[in-house]
Amino acid sequence: MNFDTLSVEWDNTLPQEEPTLMNVLRRTLPILVVSIAAVFSASGLVFAHHGAAAFITDQTVTVKGTVTELVYMNPHVQVYWESKNDKGVSEKWQGELTAPNKLTRAGWTKRTLKPGDQITVSGNPNKNSPHTIYIRKLIGPDGNSLPLFED
Amino acid sequence: MARSLVLAIAIAALAWATSVCAQAPARPSPAPAAAAPARDLAGVWMIRNPAGMRGYAGATFTKEEPEMTPWAQAKYKEARNSNGGQYDLETTNDPVLTKCYPPGTPRVYFHPYPFEFISTPKYLLMIFEYDHMMRRIYTDGRPVPQDPDPSWMGNSVGRWENNTTFVVETVGFNEKTWIDRLGHPHSTELHVTERFRRTDRDHLQIDFIIQDPKALLKPWTSTFYAELRPEWELGEISCSGDYLEFKTFEK
Repeated sequence: MNFDTLSVEWDNTLPQEEPTLMNVLRRTLPILVVSIAAVFSASGLVFAHHGAAAFITDQTVTVKGTVTELVYMNPHVQVYWESKNDKGVSEKWQGELTAPNKLTRAGWTKRTLKPGDQITVSGNPNKNSPHTIYIRKLIGPDGNSLPLFED
Repeated sequence: MARSLVLAIAIAALAWATSVCAQAPARPSPAPAAAAPARDLAGVWMIRNPAGMRGYAGATFTKEEPEMTPWAQAKYKEARNSNGGQYDLETTNDPVLTKCYPPGTPRVYFHPYPFEFISTPKYLLMIFEYDHMMRRIYTDGRPVPQDPDPSWMGNSVGRWENNTTFVVETVGFNEKTWIDRLGHPHSTELHVTERFRRTDRDHLQIDFIIQDPKALLKPWTSTFYAELRPEWELGEISCSGDYLEFKTFEK
């Protein structure tokens, strides 16, 4: 695993165990959890092509929802889903992953997520678009965390 | 006196504890590495530098600044690199990110994607996953070109120094690329030497000597490390269209 602090996509190889608190909260979802994760800010995250300026890297959002689309394309894979907010209103969300090549080497295909799949996503929120996040952890429909990084 | 005695005992105890720890059984050592095949670099490789280099090696060759000429220092001041986290396409002038320029040699090593060597009778092809970059490294005994036309990735000639060491000389660059991600500049006089040393079947050590009389006061040297990835295949990373347009990510 890489923990480079300077380069762009290298930092996508940053797996972090989710704090226990989040694991508890996740079971009480749908809910939106924002927490300060010092470990993320300490890592000096940078993102490909558009810097970390786009994302609030010292905050982690966790959302549970239903997949509407997986766009498995260069340069970065995008996941779209809908999640009910605390008033029960459905909201559209978008999450960014790393390059499809890297996900393929981690075992993904374009069919790894399909519309209707229940997922729980954790990541850094975008500054300008609060329902857009950079995904750091993704729990798939079978309850297991999906690998997001190649070796 | 008593205090000194206590101190001495404490130091002795610490020394003993340290030696005990040092003798503690280490984790079982991995199986001995397979030997490198003779004169063969074929396969997919991924840069995997040791932990001690990770603070800088994603972006540049050495922790210390290279010794630059005034010409290069002036250009370096203009560079607004894409590292450090707080940038977007309006605040960086990184030519790869803002214009999709080919990264050039040796900057291509700072893209975190694998590369592959393909052997042919007259040359070795070096293909980078990042934006399908390609280098043709002639192995037919021709000399390093004296007056090459400018190019992004350079004109390369290689030779086997011994059964496991392949030395590549590359010249003939334009001035549009950076040497690294930090924006260290180079001129058309850039001359890159890479010494690929296959230390065993799965490991490659790449010694760089970067020379440029117009930009560098003395050669800039570094060593990177790569690992064989027998299960991997190169895919597509295309720097085009959406690649440059962050707003498309906010659909």
